[in-house]
Amino acid sequence: MNALLRVEDLSVRFRLRDAVVQAVTDLNLSVRRGELLAVVGESGCGKSVLAHALLGLLPANATTTGHAFLDDIDLVHCGEKKLAREVRGRRIGLVPQSPATALTPVRTGRTLLAETLREHGRDAALATAIAADAGLDDTDLDRYPFQLSGGMAQRLVTALALASDPPLLIADEPTTGLDRPLVDHTLDVLRRRCDNGDAVLLITHDLAAAERVADTVAVMYASRIVEHRPAASVFKTAAHPYTAALLDALPDRAFQAIPGHPPMLTALPAGCAYAPRCPRADQQCATPPTGPVACHHPLVTS
Amino acid sequence: MSLTAHGVSAGYRGQQVLHDVTITIEPGETVGLRGPSGSGKSTLVRVLALLHRPDAGHVTLDGTQIDDIRHRVPSSRRTQIGVLFQSPRAASDPRLTLTDIIAEPLRATRQPHEQRVAELADRVGLTADLLGRRPHAVSDGQLQRACLARALVHRPAYLLCDEATTMLDASTQAHVAAVITDEQHQREMGVLLVSHDTTLLTRWADRVASITQQ
Amino acid sequence: MDKRDVTPAAVIGLAVAACLLVPVIWPLDQSAVALDNISQAPSLTDPGGTDDLGRDVLHRSLYGLRVSLLVGVVAALVATVLGGLIGGVAGLLGGWTDRILMRVIDTIAALPHLLLGIFIVAMLRPSLGAVVLSVALTHWLSTARIVRGELLSLRTRPFIDAAITGGASRARILTRHLLPHVLPKIALATTLMVPHAVWHETALSFLGLGLPPHLASLGNMINDGQRSLLTGAWWASIVPGLVIVTVTLAIAALAARWRDRLDPRVRAELEL
Repeated sequence: MNALLRVEDLSVRFRLRDAVVQAVTDLNLSVRRGELLAVVGESGCGKSVLAHALLGLLPANATTTGHAFLDDIDLVHCGEKKLAREVRGRRIGLVPQSPATALTPVRTGRTLLAETLREHGRDAALATAIAADAGLDDTDLDRYPFQLSGGMAQRLVTALALASDPPLLIADEPTTGLDRPLVDHTLDVLRRRCDNGDAVLLITHDLAAAERVADTVAVMYASRIVEHRPAASVFKTAAHPYTAALLDALPDRAFQAIPGHPPMLTALPAGCAYAPRCPRADQQCATPPTGPVACHHPLVTS
Repeated sequence: MSLTAHGVSAGYRGQQVLHDVTITIEPGETVGLRGPSGSGKSTLVRVLALLHRPDAGHVTLDGTQIDDIRHRVPSSRRTQIGVLFQSPRAASDPRLTLTDIIAEPLRATRQPHEQRVAELADRVGLTADLLGRRPHAVSDGQLQRACLARALVHRPAYLLCDEATTMLDASTQAHVAAVITDEQHQREMGVLLVSHDTTLLTRWADRVASITQQ
Repeated sequence: MDKRDVTPAAVIGLAVAACLLVPVIWPLDQSAVALDNISQAPSLTDPGGTDDLGRDVLHRSLYGLRVSLLVGVVAALVATVLGGLIGGVAGLLGGWTDRILMRVIDTIAALPHLLLGIFIVAMLRPSLGAVVLSVALTHWLSTARIVRGELLSLRTRPFIDAAITGGASRARILTRHLLPHVLPKIALATTLMVPHAVWHETALSFLGLGLPPHLASLGNMINDGQRSLLTGAWWASIVPGLVIVTVTLAIAALAARWRDRLDPRVRAELEL
């Protein structure tokens, strides 16, 4: 098995004043070198928490259990010091969700990029090439972050994440607020990394984006992965009723919303969380389903 | 009868982003508007919403030329145009509960609100539990549903949606579209959809206009 | 209430209780002297020692605290009203009004404010009112800037646009959306201003420009105590000094923790 990242029984809970939020539940997945895994789901399903849990960036009221092995390092248990010195920015790069707030306003793109390159023992002169790879003109590198448009800032944070040449890149909604051409460009940059043998974990609510570049897709619903299969199969013949309903909501398909609401993460049902909205649900669904298609009545059986 | 921008040019601090744009929204129709970022789509929405003064050109609302903006426009005219903004979080007062967010335009104009809020909350799919919460305790999708209810609360003749479903998941986007279409079937509401998503506009709009970067 | 709030809250509670109760249960004759009991070190009968006129230092310090807190609180309130009004006008009207008012504020802020305060008391007869006025007139600038900045940034927020399209009047937007956001910040600024105002009053009294010298005020006492320092009677200055440091630190600490809680970045609950 050639997995770069192996997540085993990962759970994340947040203690709030009057409730416990179950943001990630018994999550298992693996990412191979050269694989682009897209984690998709609606806002609030826990997909962003997964990304932050892998990087040890959760707030203090969070409890993480289980394992997440990156090669031989267990990201859940190795401690902050090891994460800071060996993992974040070195073995795992992060393309953050809001580029505008992720950039130091007092440094130009070139300075930021050169600093990052030097920090990782690489030649600062590579800045131009890396920026070009992310789709940023050399002249734009001399601007300060506040002089950049949203799209340019997005390409700059992507370039910064690429600067350390990390074997695993986590992209957390990297295309929010971008135009379609920019979305496509950003996705293509991610795709190229995988084609060169690195791995990418793409977190997105944009199903079209996932369809464009992903090798495998993990659909998250109410803190669990409900379907984890090759991208082509997911988009062609969805196996989980939730995946099917979510795809049906796309404007080039039925454009039909899923009836009902997802459950609150503070009060998850014991069985299948989708059962209350599912036309195929029966008594069996009161027990939690498992497997790559977490459903007692999948639409297709492989 | 229409909401029309006639030869509008507009910008901020001398920097013009919109050049001589004319666009009309008729009652009952859904007009798509697409264009790259920086092409002034949002500025056009703000001009049509009577929030931003154009440098040249003007807006007519059902045949009447409107020369003022913001508070100088009589409240009864302002409420004929509903706006659904791109970021529901920025567009909602963080101190108010979702119920108060939806009820506020009615309270502000001294109209009864309880029944109307309950009806709209039901239509956009907000449960009682969610209605009592403040913005920070709900997801973007849930908050945008509340903002949609607020935009419809005065039964506006025209609804302007500025990339309003871009950051929503597919299901919530489809639901927002269904609520707006349903409202158009009930009464002849004209809708402007600003988006860069061609697939979405092709599916949702009756006709699509383009705006190019100058 | 958080554990870390307990100590400052207790200190402030004690100080306020002392200010209210001491005149009742332990009244002080401001002009009394006891020349047979001068410069006595702190002891069980006189926990704060006595000064070079034989007056009980702790007793007078508690009376001085009354004056200091009264001046501090009243001056902070006056400064807040003044700053709130001027900042409010600048922030709500914007444009030229804003530019002119802000230049006026910049000009006043460019003067050393203690010097300005001295100038103001010097023009008036030394009294409690003069001290309050001097402190208030030199401390409203920061409040005006805070209020103006908040209003200007709130005015451009999309939720204000949404309220306008919803038909809300100017007054409605002010009372419903603007004031509720600004008021907690004003209250915080006022609280943070109290210790500053107390120090300012103390400084004026120390320079002999505050209250008449026979009245117990912390500044007067620290000033008087200088004479005793040379004779080794350190307590005459140190005790009132400790009182003012402890109480103002407690107020500042509580206000700082309150500010942290108001800050959405600190308070932010997790977004999933």
